Amino acid sequence: MAGRARFYDGETAQVHEVSARPTTSELVIFRPADSGIVARWPIGELAVLGDLVHEAVPPVVRRGSEARLLVDDPELRRQLAASLPQLSPLAAPPPAPGRRIAAFGVTLAALVSLFWLGVDYGSEYAAPLLPHGLQAKLGESVFEELTADKDECHGKAGLAAINGLANRLARAADYPHEITVHVMAGGPVNAFTLPGGILVIYFDLIDQAKDSAQVAGVLAHEIGHVVHYHPMKGLARQYGIDLIAKLVSGGYSDLLNTLTSGGNLLLALRNGRAFEREADATGVALLEKLGLRADGIASFFEQMMDKEPEDAAAGAGIWSSHPPTAERIAATRRPAAGRPAFTDAEWRALRNVCK
Amino acid sequence: MAEPELTPSRPVYDGKLGELYAIYLRHLVLMVLTLGWSRFWGRTRLRRYLWNHLAVLGDRFEYRGRGLELLIGFLLVLVMLAAWGGAMWLVWVYVFREKPFASFGLFDIFSLSVALIGFPLAYVGHYAGLRYRLSRTRWRGIRCAMAGSAWRYGASATFLTFANAMTGQLLTPVVSVNLTRPRVVNVRFGTLPFSFAGSAGDIYGRYLGFYFLNIIAWLVAAGIALAAIGGTVEGLGVSSHEIGKLFSQPGLRTVLIVAAVAIGAYMVFSLLILPLRCWWQAYWLRYLVSHSRAGYVLFATAISTRQMWGFLVVNYLIVVLTLGLGWPWVMHRTLRLIAAQLWLYGAPDGAAIGQPADRGPRFGEGLLDMFDVSGV
Repeated sequence: MAGRARFYDGETAQVHEVSARPTTSELVIFRPADSGIVARWPIGELAVLGDLVHEAVPPVVRRGSEARLLVDDPELRRQLAASLPQLSPLAAPPPAPGRRIAAFGVTLAALVSLFWLGVDYGSEYAAPLLPHGLQAKLGESVFEELTADKDECHGKAGLAAINGLANRLARAADYPHEITVHVMAGGPVNAFTLPGGILVIYFDLIDQAKDSAQVAGVLAHEIGHVVHYHPMKGLARQYGIDLIAKLVSGGYSDLLNTLTSGGNLLLALRNGRAFEREADATGVALLEKLGLRADGIASFFEQMMDKEPEDAAAGAGIWSSHPPTAERIAATRRPAAGRPAFTDAEWRALRNVCK
Repeated sequence: MAEPELTPSRPVYDGKLGELYAIYLRHLVLMVLTLGWSRFWGRTRLRRYLWNHLAVLGDRFEYRGRGLELLIGFLLVLVMLAAWGGAMWLVWVYVFREKPFASFGLFDIFSLSVALIGFPLAYVGHYAGLRYRLSRTRWRGIRCAMAGSAWRYGASATFLTFANAMTGQLLTPVVSVNLTRPRVVNVRFGTLPFSFAGSAGDIYGRYLGFYFLNIIAWLVAAGIALAAIGGTVEGLGVSSHEIGKLFSQPGLRTVLIVAAVAIGAYMVFSLLILPLRCWWQAYWLRYLVSHSRAGYVLFATAISTRQMWGFLVVNYLIVVLTLGLGWPWVMHRTLRLIAAQLWLYGAPDGAAIGQPADRGPRFGEGLLDMFDVSGV
């Protein structure tokens, strides 16, 4: 047993060409040239640092010492491992890399697919289960951020009218929580939904609406977002997909991060378009369920198309968060039948909500 | 007086790409399963492999860091950041009186302040991270170490980078030399310190040549790009509206066109701009290596512009085309390049080198993990 090994004493950077031989109680490290003993390590204190998967030559050490024995010679390694169980990692051959690559590669692909499906479908079921208090808190903080430099309208009767309709619509969809509608002074002509049943509608939308059915239509559409928990689902999907992209790319490259965030944005926008279609359909269905006029959504879109014949959503295609307006009109067109959503007095109060 | 012993040698890297990939893919599997929390252990395993498959003068390096040390380092920085968040909350309550200033709310204060402190802290993290890695690196059983203050390095790096940006990058040689010096002279192999004899004056001439040629190259590249794009659009008679439509509803054809344009742009960039950059970087690397020394051991490299170009361009393509999965290949290529291009003259006097006095930091790389994209 005179194979090749290198011994570092742990005190200086000298290298000793050695060999090693186990006795019943010790590992004897000696110079092959003159059989001079370099070190005698008690067997009970031997350990191997690392393994053959990671280290080409895992160092053998005596616990508590900084000295190292590096056994380069595979035959000596095998013999030492066979004689001393503590040194068995020296001879454990690593599995062939091809097999490990195939196994880990397949597992990784399966995990990524599962994770993706989990995010896509899991958010569908998990979002409603999130405590409402938490969703509301999140919605409120985003509301504060988004509207910090805007004036809120406080007309009591107008707010009561719009909140009343919003809650009636939500109850019709069996949504179990209170809806809060905020009306902000000025523009743009827009409305949006935040987590926790918080709706924001800009007064310009109310002001420029041809009739109360249009405002009711927009409100019903937003309630569609609320009852399907779209804000929370959107957040969960965006966060989940961002996370998986980072995990799989190792987060090692700035360039790669840019690529993945670009892809992620496209996915978020695709989700956005699906949510809009669902909210449109739900909005119309809720108005019809309550026996209210349901032609407002389509007529609101038509009014927007009249103002801007070049449809921005259709033009933007995959970069748009909304489906093409013409498609939405076709999907939501209904006859002007049913009761008005607001009484004349409510509609007047809503038109004066910012005064 | 005895002649110095200057036998030349090169490091030997005997890692195998397949083995490295097996470790990397296992790391990615665990990353997905643990939502990223296994990264500290994964990084450690990759280092163990890379370090131990690189040998100098026949002796392999050894990496003995532990994933737990990296996790604790990260958690400590997380606690620091939470404390900072608390401080910013106090500012929000007592200075801003909880009223947003021009829509500048609590979240904005926190993000802006973290971005501001993150910039210098990334430099502190670079230095402290190097100290950690060196303290866990052994060669011939002797630990490496790093002296000097990470905070001083962070301050100096922040100031120099800022000054360089203010002067249109004309201070780059001063910045490069002054940031390299502390990173070299504070390195210890056991009790043996490294030294660096570089000076900005030596490399200014070459840098100015690169600087002005680079400006000319960008102008030429921009001219070529404009001519190519203008010519193509005019030639095809495509309106901007049609181009917009092409991008918003992309078919396979659009994707192929975009890919061709991107490859064309990259070709122009890699043919005109990158060779110049590589010309400068290869020169700087040769200068840096040949002006560093470890006791009696001298270093040298003859890396050429062409080698540097081949290395950087292919690395870039590997990472982009494999969407990050090619990262181990890049690491493998890097170590092979080091092994092929680095020459050592002489050998250290092993008997005169002992273990360093300190054992290095107990935890590591938290700042680096938090404020910087951290590789292996």
